[in-house]
Amino acid sequence: MIKSKKDKKGYFGDFGGQFVPETLMTPLKELEDSYIKLWRDKRFKAELDEMLSGFAGRPTPIYFAGNLTDQLNGAKIYLKREDLTHTGAHKINNAAGQALLAKYMGKKRIIAETGAGQHGVATSAVSAALGLECVVYMGAVDMERQQPNVKRMQLLGAKVIPVNSGSKTLKDAINEAIRDWVTNIRTSHYLIGSVLGPHPYPIIVRNFQRVIGTEAKKQILQKEKRLPDYLVASIGGGSNSIGLFYDFLNDNKVRMIGVEAGGRGIKSGKHAARFTGGRPGILHGTLSYVLQDKFGQITETHSVAAGLDYPSVGPEHAYLHSIGRVQYTSVTDKEAIEAFRLLSEMEGIIPAFESAHAIAYGLKLAGKLPKNKIIIINLSGRGDKDLLTNIGK
Amino acid sequence: MMKIKTENNSFRRAFDGKNKSGKVAFMPFLVAGDPDYAGCLKMLKTVTRYADMLEIGFPYSDPLADGPTIQAADERSLKAGMNTDKVFNLIRDLRSFCNKPITALVYANLVYRYGLDPFYKKCARTGINGVLVPDVPIEESIPFVNAANRHGVYPIFMLTQTTTDSRLKEILKYARGYLYLVSVLGVTGSRNSLGNETFEFIERIKKITTLPVALGFGISKKEQIDKATKAGINGVIVGSAIIKIIELNIKNPCLKVEKFIKELGVA
Repeated sequence: MIKSKKDKKGYFGDFGGQFVPETLMTPLKELEDSYIKLWRDKRFKAELDEMLSGFAGRPTPIYFAGNLTDQLNGAKIYLKREDLTHTGAHKINNAAGQALLAKYMGKKRIIAETGAGQHGVATSAVSAALGLECVVYMGAVDMERQQPNVKRMQLLGAKVIPVNSGSKTLKDAINEAIRDWVTNIRTSHYLIGSVLGPHPYPIIVRNFQRVIGTEAKKQILQKEKRLPDYLVASIGGGSNSIGLFYDFLNDNKVRMIGVEAGGRGIKSGKHAARFTGGRPGILHGTLSYVLQDKFGQITETHSVAAGLDYPSVGPEHAYLHSIGRVQYTSVTDKEAIEAFRLLSEMEGIIPAFESAHAIAYGLKLAGKLPKNKIIIINLSGRGDKDLLTNIGK
Repeated sequence: MMKIKTENNSFRRAFDGKNKSGKVAFMPFLVAGDPDYAGCLKMLKTVTRYADMLEIGFPYSDPLADGPTIQAADERSLKAGMNTDKVFNLIRDLRSFCNKPITALVYANLVYRYGLDPFYKKCARTGINGVLVPDVPIEESIPFVNAANRHGVYPIFMLTQTTTDSRLKEILKYARGYLYLVSVLGVTGSRNSLGNETFEFIERIKKITTLPVALGFGISKKEQIDKATKAGINGVIVGSAIIKIIELNIKNPCLKVEKFIKELGVA
């Protein structure tokens, strides 16, 4: 794989690491050891495969968005339908993998954070299925704007704990989840929802999300007899994007674009575009791109999409950015909401606000490309959860 | 040039001096700039009279090793306009009336953003004796330790109940000044009692090292301190319990803090 050989353990180039309190270091080592062992274990693999197919509904199809392709008269647009999974987003892939890992490790209690609520719902569902206790931390602001998901988590038996510190969004929910984990380290597994946090989390989560790209590659080769020209995915922490990109990284002709939340515009300062507005820094255990002030205080972010509203990004993305393999860009709230409507009206599919960022950029790109090009956009989640947000006329 | 001061350990002298009298060293923890610059300086004047050494936290937006009390202090301080440069100014002001050893507690990103070398250089110039970065474990610590040693500042490390013997051996290669024992699994914040696990932990560590050992996290009562003293601890760090008094008496907390410290019986 694309990776420099000199990488220090737990690093992707200059990014990554394990910047956590001492209490967590031994548990992280145990997690890494268990993961390495179980990843090759036949019984574990069979059980995970069964969960992914029977419980989560994999494989998900790729779907040719014919109406939009016709209208734009440019590149062919395919959607990777992660919105069709059980609980409605790609988050279930990682939640199932890690919850099973926790169960094999003998942990009885699952801690999770959630932004949009999709990871929280997925974790609540797999915890219920596997008979594990589940506690989900969620920023008070996010609970307000993603009410349907709060109800779903509660119905699935999870305890949802509102977080009122800081910006009351995903960042603060992660702080609280880590505090819980430090306190209950012997009984609990922290089921982080994205390719974030200290090593080995970014690798574990990526490997559980790789299935998106593995399937997409097989499917596009079947339909088009060739690889796509572009992959487009939205990026909060970066799990749906790395999941789609990873198996294509060595296919040099496939271009990849990660779409961050431009919020109210980069100039407004109210956004979550880490690669445009941020610089290297340390947050939640990992060294990556971070939105921060000149003294290193983490700054507040804004996005209409709770799942993208986060001041840092997975360290592997920082690496892929540094070597120029993936291009990172952003679209504004307004553009994302337009795409949300457009996909609903034209294709009959309601995307999550998060995924709508990828759709917005993908459509812009498709319109500029000739008809013989192929784009796959990761439709990472469904948008039912966003219907209560006032999106104006 | 490496400038490691192996002799003349100001922490060692402060611990030894206090321990000779049969008492443990008292190290209060305050967040710099809480509730504001002037208020904090006044509080420092008060606690310095009773302290054998001080621990001062750089306020941070995301202090994930801290419980709600210290988090709230960080927020008050940042809201009052504190930043890294102003913390250094405050400590310089503190140095005009206090010559006791000072440990800075600072989260990794603040050091990283300031630049490792400039940060430790500034610490040395300001009169900070030791620096503890709670989210930099031994695996990530080499650049931090090197910068500290270059400027004659002691890298302070935390030990926790999950620290294995092999990790402990690694940590002891780099730790200087004293060891910070985290009494409980969890974040900072007052607790009513300490369990047997804590005292077994103290005994385990004391067998392995000759460095002074200070106990922190959750210390708020005389009985806890008495028990830890019997277990052989050299010092106690008291943070959240003091900061809670500041929070509840924001206009004039000094007298109440003084009374609390006297009750601890550590002065």
